[in-house]
Amino acid sequence: MDKNTLSELLSKVEKPARYIGGELNMTSKTDADYSFALCFPDVYEIGMSHLGSRILYNILNKRTDTICERVYAPWIDMEKLLFERSLPLFSLETKRDLNKFNIIGFSLLYEMSYTGILNMLDMSGIPLRSKDRGEEMPLIVCGGPCACNPEPIADFMDVVMIGDGEELCDTLMDIYADSKRRGLTKKELLLMLSKHEGFYIPAFYEPIYSGSGNFLRINKLEDEAPKKAKRCILKNLDTAEYLGELIVPYMSIVHDRVPLEIFRGCTRGCRFCQAGFIYRPVRERKRETLMKYARELIDHTGYDEISLFSLSSGDYSEIHELVHEILDEFSDQDVSISLPSLRVDSLLKEDLERIQSIRKSGLTLAPEAGTQRLRDVINKCVTEDDIMRSVSDAFESGWHGVKLYFMLGLPTETDEDILAIAELARRISRLFYSMPKEKRGKGLRLTVSVSSFVPKPFTPFQWVAQDDIETIMRKQRLLKDALKGIRGVEYQYHAVYTSELEAVLARGDRRISNVIEGAYRRGARLDSWDECFKREAYTDAFIENGLTMEQYTTRVHSLDEPLPWDHIDMVVTKDYLINEYKKALNEITTKDCREGCNGCFGDRYADYCKIQ
Amino acid sequence: MAALVTGMRIIVRFSKGENVRYTSHLDVQRLFQRAFRRAKLPLAYSQGFNPHPLMGFAAALSVGHTSGAEWFDVKLKEPMDTDEFIKRVNAVLPKGFLVLDAIDAGEFSKSLTSLLVAADYDIEIKGETDGLIEFISDMLNGEIIVTKKTKGGIRDINIRPDIIAHKMCKTEEGILLRIRGRLNVDGGLNAELFVNAIRAKCGLRLIVNTHRRAMYGNGAFLPNIPKEI
Repeated sequence: MDKNTLSELLSKVEKPARYIGGELNMTSKTDADYSFALCFPDVYEIGMSHLGSRILYNILNKRTDTICERVYAPWIDMEKLLFERSLPLFSLETKRDLNKFNIIGFSLLYEMSYTGILNMLDMSGIPLRSKDRGEEMPLIVCGGPCACNPEPIADFMDVVMIGDGEELCDTLMDIYADSKRRGLTKKELLLMLSKHEGFYIPAFYEPIYSGSGNFLRINKLEDEAPKKAKRCILKNLDTAEYLGELIVPYMSIVHDRVPLEIFRGCTRGCRFCQAGFIYRPVRERKRETLMKYARELIDHTGYDEISLFSLSSGDYSEIHELVHEILDEFSDQDVSISLPSLRVDSLLKEDLERIQSIRKSGLTLAPEAGTQRLRDVINKCVTEDDIMRSVSDAFESGWHGVKLYFMLGLPTETDEDILAIAELARRISRLFYSMPKEKRGKGLRLTVSVSSFVPKPFTPFQWVAQDDIETIMRKQRLLKDALKGIRGVEYQYHAVYTSELEAVLARGDRRISNVIEGAYRRGARLDSWDECFKREAYTDAFIENGLTMEQYTTRVHSLDEPLPWDHIDMVVTKDYLINEYKKALNEITTKDCREGCNGCFGDRYADYCKIQ
Repeated sequence: MAALVTGMRIIVRFSKGENVRYTSHLDVQRLFQRAFRRAKLPLAYSQGFNPHPLMGFAAALSVGHTSGAEWFDVKLKEPMDTDEFIKRVNAVLPKGFLVLDAIDAGEFSKSLTSLLVAADYDIEIKGETDGLIEFISDMLNGEIIVTKKTKGGIRDINIRPDIIAHKMCKTEEGILLRIRGRLNVDGGLNAELFVNAIRAKCGLRLIVNTHRRAMYGNGAFLPNIPKEI
């Protein structure tokens, strides 16, 4: 993209800073043997908030043979301008056309970004399907949590990377470089990759369906390819490369602070939570390593906030020591600390008070369900007393903003469970207003935020039927009515149609590739943005392909039916998930695995987990 | 504004280059705050639940414009040498931003905005510029009506009275138009609106670069308006 053209386009779009690059700490490389376009199929401020791709940016640019540049999906205004002038999408660093890169890698963070991948390829004149791309075309790869069921996007990808990206990206570049040196074909490269842990080559596998359209099994097409693609696990997080010198964006992004990943994985085993299963085992970074990163990152960036990042920050083995050490270290620099994903049962009043001594932010809790019975079903081992104690501690410390997350449509849910959410909100509201005025904040801001349950692969609920749209809408209304008149409550709920589609894309088989492409051709893109979401593009695409959404959403999958992602080995065994599912239906909880091994890896990989 | 007991108020002039012209005023405020933190300057913070550095910009620059003369002031907890200030800040600023001056404000406590009277803009026009000089001259000889969004809704206003002086010349690639616009606490010439008016009325495909080359005040710190434009 030449400078004058770009400048002219920038003068016409809503947020030009999305496309300018040149931020502090951007890589200073301009060329290397191999170029890697690190793509995020959503706009800049979302993509730049993704920790994983920022780690990979550092790792790839650390290599002397590779230059890694960032490419984000353009917003509709920029897309339109590029389309009108037949200009390709370009990278932020050197403004090079996306199709000029050797490797294009997409982060798969959420299912609703899949059409964004097609859009980015299409805008660059790259054929969408792997089979239509010749030797001269860039290698298209992807990775991230959604890669655990790669089938819905399998036809578009040359390589799917499953597991921790730190090792996968290095392996990918080593093998790619080797194949280029030896002058190998793309097919030969793919075969080499398939023999390494974490690399799934969709073209080597073919799904078989019954005459009535049920998924039957996966046929392996290449003798040398493994039967199953196994997740690559980074054994030692503490010694792994992290962010290096973090880029500091000009425009405000969603997570505009220093992210400090304190551990990966989670020991809780909440049964709806995909991340809780696919990132096992828990691997922590040492406190001294984290302090070193904190100092370096604050120095490099000038940020005034550090966010402790993990699936359940309160579970970090030295959380209190860490919080205090950070606050002490930066006490003269006004650095504040935020603790997202803090579980209600791991909250300490003293920490709260110290955190808020710098900056006041809201308290977020995720009970997920209104009754103890349903919380037992989903294995969210939090009691109402835990919640009330945390909230009470927060109020006494002067906080007056509390956000509670719940899900509607969880397995076995009844109206009683939903009404209990309102009852909990009422108790919290009464608690706040029963406190003496001088001891509490001014006005309560109690946000009840409700999403709809989406069954995900590799969770104990992967077989569960999703509520149909009418049922979810009725439940949303039921809760809305029940919350009326409770002082200080604000009710937030999500559009039901995106949750429905999320379920389809999460549990889809390879036929869903056609649906995604069909929807894209009908204008679907940036589907996670309400103002862009086009449901009819998908419903029409389903009809065109002779499929229904219902077979992926409201249908109960039987425990013995083959699943489209059975050939992906995420290390947690299917037997374990079946057992967890059965326990859920019997309202039996499973203990946190820090209290003793539950055997989720089976005998095969039992030694992968160091907690015991 | 309470006087500082032990601290220092520094008045800063900086430039904004082409590669960062599409950053917003808010982005610029934020990046200076972060640069000061990286430079480990002894910043003074506001009191309250969300402490922020005490900075005040003279005037916001439109997104897309470059500048050789943006001004702000910043408060420090303890005094420091102004040359040292420039050196340390420039060492950590992103490419495209450069601190040109730093002046000890001493006891002076008025805001920079209150000192403002005018600003000069260099408007470089390339593209289909045949006959454009005459066209712009005609425009400047009459009312220049633009549509402006205000709190009370959208209305048409004449921005010609906000233009104090102007001159124009041909360059190798097109035209250079220099405009001196009124600029003070109550507002003034929005150079972007003026450029848009040229664009809209001439109907030609133009490449326009707008550069703020100076900001003027009356008396303290900001330079006085020179006679010549």
